[in-house]
Amino acid sequence: MSHNNRIPLFMVKSILKYVILAFSFALITSCIRDKKDTIRFSSWQSNPSEKRLTDSLLHYFSEKYPEYNVKFELIPGNYSEKIQLMLGTHSAPQVFYVKDFVAPSYLRYDVLQPLNEFIDQDTSFDIADFFPQFLKAYTRDGKIYGIPKDFGCFVLFYNEDMFKEAGLNEPPKDWAELETFSEKLTRDTNGDGKADQFGIVVEPSIDKLMPFVFQNMGSFQDQDGNLTLNTPEFQGAVEYYYGLYKKKIATIPSDVSMNNTEEVFGRKRAAMVISGGWFVPQLKDQYSDVNYRVAFLPEGKQMATIAFTVSYSSPKENPLKEETWKLLSYLTGKEGMKLWTSTGIAMPTRKSVAEQLDYVSHPEYKYFMGSVDFAKVFQVDYNERWYSITQSAMQAIFYEKADISQKIKQMENDIRSLKIKE
Amino acid sequence: MKNVRWLRIQIKMKRNSSTKKEQQFWAYTFLFFPLMLLTIFLFIPILSSFIFSFFNWELMASDQKFVGLNNYIEIFGDKIFYKAMLNTVLYTIGVVPIQTILALFLAFVMNQKIRGRSFFRTAFYIPAVTSSVVTSIIFVAIYSKEGLLNTLLGNLGILPNDWLTNPRTALISIMMLNIWTTSGYFMVSFLAGLQNIPESLYEAARLEGATQAQQFWHITVPMVRPVTYFVIVMSLIGCFQVFDQVFVMSDGGPNNATTTLSYYVYQNGFKYFRLGYGAAAAIVLAGIIMTVTVIQKKYFPPNPY
Repeated sequence: MSHNNRIPLFMVKSILKYVILAFSFALITSCIRDKKDTIRFSSWQSNPSEKRLTDSLLHYFSEKYPEYNVKFELIPGNYSEKIQLMLGTHSAPQVFYVKDFVAPSYLRYDVLQPLNEFIDQDTSFDIADFFPQFLKAYTRDGKIYGIPKDFGCFVLFYNEDMFKEAGLNEPPKDWAELETFSEKLTRDTNGDGKADQFGIVVEPSIDKLMPFVFQNMGSFQDQDGNLTLNTPEFQGAVEYYYGLYKKKIATIPSDVSMNNTEEVFGRKRAAMVISGGWFVPQLKDQYSDVNYRVAFLPEGKQMATIAFTVSYSSPKENPLKEETWKLLSYLTGKEGMKLWTSTGIAMPTRKSVAEQLDYVSHPEYKYFMGSVDFAKVFQVDYNERWYSITQSAMQAIFYEKADISQKIKQMENDIRSLKIKE
Repeated sequence: MKNVRWLRIQIKMKRNSSTKKEQQFWAYTFLFFPLMLLTIFLFIPILSSFIFSFFNWELMASDQKFVGLNNYIEIFGDKIFYKAMLNTVLYTIGVVPIQTILALFLAFVMNQKIRGRSFFRTAFYIPAVTSSVVTSIIFVAIYSKEGLLNTLLGNLGILPNDWLTNPRTALISIMMLNIWTTSGYFMVSFLAGLQNIPESLYEAARLEGATQAQQFWHITVPMVRPVTYFVIVMSLIGCFQVFDQVFVMSDGGPNNATTTLSYYVYQNGFKYFRLGYGAAAAIVLAGIIMTVTVIQKKYFPPNPY
């Protein structure tokens, strides 16, 4: 029969359905898998000059140790959420950045690899070479969970041209001078009756407030982790800080339609700003017409500032522990750190590297290095929600003119309930 | 003889098994992929969220503690949750009516034969298809202290206001952005509804001497009621879920003035690392939306006729 020679249509359709099923199966399971022994290294998105430095560091590492395979995976966008997700799903990179600010959370969950045994075995690493406060930020019960790669701290940037115009030759040395200088520097430059240039630019956030708190002999929490917000020292600092804005000798970024304090200074709407080393390359690239100088923060009852550091850390679940240590110890070793900090984007956390690069004599960097003696790393042992609560309180004080002592009391009550139960 | 029988059997097979069964088979095959996608990305996450909400689920912790209803109890004791609920309700009450009326009005106008009709239709619709993140960023600049809005208002003699950092105007600013964006989207729905209204009704009304306004209120509005129902339901659901604009423009601030329920879920789940608590808040939000939709269906049905 002729119709027996042709393949019946329903058979074709049956084969086709298996083909479709097989194809979709292959599609679903075609996940890309890395080679087994690739060291994955992740950082957040920073500016192009930092990216170039990272690439060259990794390049030198590959030259020195060609047997190791390193893959750099940039994480754009919400870095901490992505890392958190990767740690929770056991797919974290071998080496990643951990900011000092969030270190307490990672230490609390015990997801990072303690590095003591590697440090002790590696005779050339020289852990004593590090400035103590940066290492302490990543240490718990004697175990070290990250190696600080560099640091920055708040210093005072001021516009020398504006100072000269106002008849000032030196930066302010203390709180009183900061106020009187800001008054002199606040002026109406275009004759419309409103001040366009302000003495200093501040912002309603806890980060920029804390140096003043420390300088006023206050703190956020004491040794045992109890809150010390409802204290005269803390309140005095808030009153001084807000007072500058209230007296209209300080402005805030939103008042001049800008996004951050650095932009306000760079666009010459303020004569002073409190910022850190990260601002220097930005000044050189974007605001090269600003004649800026650097100085120590003005002194309160004592000298104090906030230091910021970032560590290289490694997850506990890691099949490539030895290889990871090789990369870690190179990046934070004397050679690696010298390469990284030689352009001045951040300061070295190793005393020997700072000496080698002679940053204590550098006209700008000496203020960063000099601040190490009185710089504190700001960390808080409460659930992350504390930050939003302080932001709300600061916003209420600045935008709604809320009563300061009442807001502080409320802030302390709200945060107290977030104490992390061990 | 044999051939005819063989043919008859074949025809029967084709008609009974091949046609019906094959149709069924292909129907299920084509349904399989979207259903699989929905299951993986919608049903399973919803079920997981429900389960997580009974745990103290922290992503980086080594084990998750079962805490029963504690998350829910904590939510109902959190004053920021009530602030978020208040913000969401205010937002919805403000946006839904204005959006619906504006969309219907725009559709009515666009349905008339005026010059440049297609240009206007496109112009009104474009905000709806532009990324919400992009429109939010643009409006941050417009709303800023020295931005476009204040400049325009200044020409009318109104003092400048920092729209997004003033706790009294922050939420309203985001509401206005949303009305501008989605009115165009619903305008298209109403246009489709309007074009289904028989012209004879309008003719009869005109013969009786009805004005444009009377035609609008007594013919257009009642006849377009099913579309209105659809628009209000979608609008309500969308308003309860507003997130993008808050995330880009104000981060829930100033002082929680723009924290909506969905932003509250995100904050607690991902910023404070408490996924169980965030999941519980999400389930509460889903419950609220479902309740509102059920109430609306009961008291404002699409077609009472």
